[in-house]
Amino acid sequence: MHRVLLPFEFFEPTTIKEVVNLVDGDKVRVLAGGVDLVLKMRRREIVPEKVVSLQKVPGLDYVEGNGSAGLKFGALATLRQIEQSEVVMQNYALLREAISKIVSVQTKTMGTAIGNLCVATPASDIAPPLYAMGAKVKIMGADSEREIPIEEFFVDVGKTAIGPHEIVTEIVVPSLPSGSGSAFMKLSKTAEDIAKVNAAVLVTLADGKCEDARIAVGSVAPTPVRATKAEEAIKGQEMNEKSIKEASALAAEAATPISDVRSTAEYRKEMVRILVKDALQKAAERAQV
Amino acid sequence: MGKEIANFIVNGNEYDAIIEPHMLLIDVLRDEIGLTGAKYACGAGDCGSCTVLIDGKPSFSCLTLAVTAKGKNILTIEGMADGNTLHPIQQAFVVSGAVQCGFCTPGMVMSTKVLLDENPEPTRGEAKTALAGNLCRCTGYVKIVDAVEVAAGTMRKGG
Ligand SMILES: Cc1cc2nc3c(=O)[nH]c(=O)nc-3n(C[C@H](O)[C@H](O)[C@H](O)COP(=O)(O)OP(=O)(O)OC[C@H]3O[C@@H](n4cnc5c(N)ncnc54)[C@H](O)[C@@H]3O)c2cc1C
Ligand code: FES
Ligand code: FES
Repeated sequence: MHRVLLPFEFFEPTTIKEVVNLVDGDKVRVLAGGVDLVLKMRRREIVPEKVVSLQKVPGLDYVEGNGSAGLKFGALATLRQIEQSEVVMQNYALLREAISKIVSVQTKTMGTAIGNLCVATPASDIAPPLYAMGAKVKIMGADSEREIPIEEFFVDVGKTAIGPHEIVTEIVVPSLPSGSGSAFMKLSKTAEDIAKVNAAVLVTLADGKCEDARIAVGSVAPTPVRATKAEEAIKGQEMNEKSIKEASALAAEAATPISDVRSTAEYRKEMVRILVKDALQKAAERAQV
Repeated sequence: MGKEIANFIVNGNEYDAIIEPHMLLIDVLRDEIGLTGAKYACGAGDCGSCTVLIDGKPSFSCLTLAVTAKGKNILTIEGMADGNTLHPIQQAFVVSGAVQCGFCTPGMVMSTKVLLDENPEPTRGEAKTALAGNLCRCTGYVKIVDAVEVAAGTMRKGG
């Protein structure tokens, strides 16, 4: 870690168009909250020639929507703002629960949710809930705008689907079905550390049975992943101890973890099973009230 | 944009400093302006000892480009006391024995201010949540949470 940053040219445009015209892969980097970018610049992991701040572009810090129209937030919406937003509190409890597991107030006050996603760490606590809720990512280029499912956004460790001349402008979360319940679980060395394993579950119950289930796990593969086999196993079933146990055993199959300073691969795989079991249990209870 | 003379508003006072875009706010505060209250420890967002309030928002000055803080209202620990009278939060840290080596204290006090501005009567749990981004290697935190309660009490009484 270096004490000072290497020099770069700095730009503070006031329109998205200007930002997009400037950005260029690793050479010209966008600055949102700077929590990750400045840290990586200190470590010389990213040494941009130019830094383009989003902070002077008006109107990017919104969090809006409601239970029936879905949720949207912009590139400058901070984690804290989303965590405290009324609409998220009322209708998207899964996202709020996940953000609450990032404990540092300063990190959440400076850091944006979109910045967190753009870092593309498999340990993101923001990604699994968005996978579970089927969120979409709006990406803007100089003459184009596209919207892709969050699952296509994460490509590899540290790699997203953002092109060198593109930026992310918005995350769109669809409204959640009635009768749904959710839960987010995170296992970490200490409360302030990033996840060894995390899991987000969204289940929809109808007539006492699981009509739909979406399960996403993080920190156990190069990107967050859906545990599709576990989802299929629980669908159509009554959500009881037995069915939950069977489904969570299959969740570990989605995991291809590595061993690192935080955990061994073997432990992570086993913990996927436990976290998904607990999350399914909790989500089912919450769906019933 | 290269070198420039930038204006910073720190604790209500204006300072001009010659800065470059790659300079960090902590370095400008400490080395250019001479306010050494905000402490540099991890430089990575992990410890919170460099916490200052920028337009009221608790921020890591070690991860903030100084250029982005120009013209904004920056509050550091030096701006808490009123002349020789300590701010009730500072006083509470002193009387509660919440200061040992003191390295974390400026950041702790700033985070406590954010908490008490939003929530004048926090529970101990809420105090812990609010200070979760500030590490202390000495006290074991119990006395720091005591200090938050003492400060909240004094401030509710108008102290
Ligand atoms: C102490 C600490 C604890 C943390 N704990 C957790 C945790 O428990 N869980 C967790 O998930 N995360 C955690 N984080 C990570 C944190 O959430 C992210 O670093 C932060 O949210 C990044 O957002 P930012 O706005 O600061 O991004 P920046 O640092 O500004 O940007 C990050 C990267 O994304 C790019 N970028 C930003 N916005 C856009 C955009 N709109 N379009 C294209 N590219 C863009 C930037 O160029 C940069 O490369 C922690 C960080 C710290 C410092
Ligand atoms: S020095 Fe800034 S968070 Fe540790
Ligand atoms: S008093 Fe020494 S680090 Fe907190």
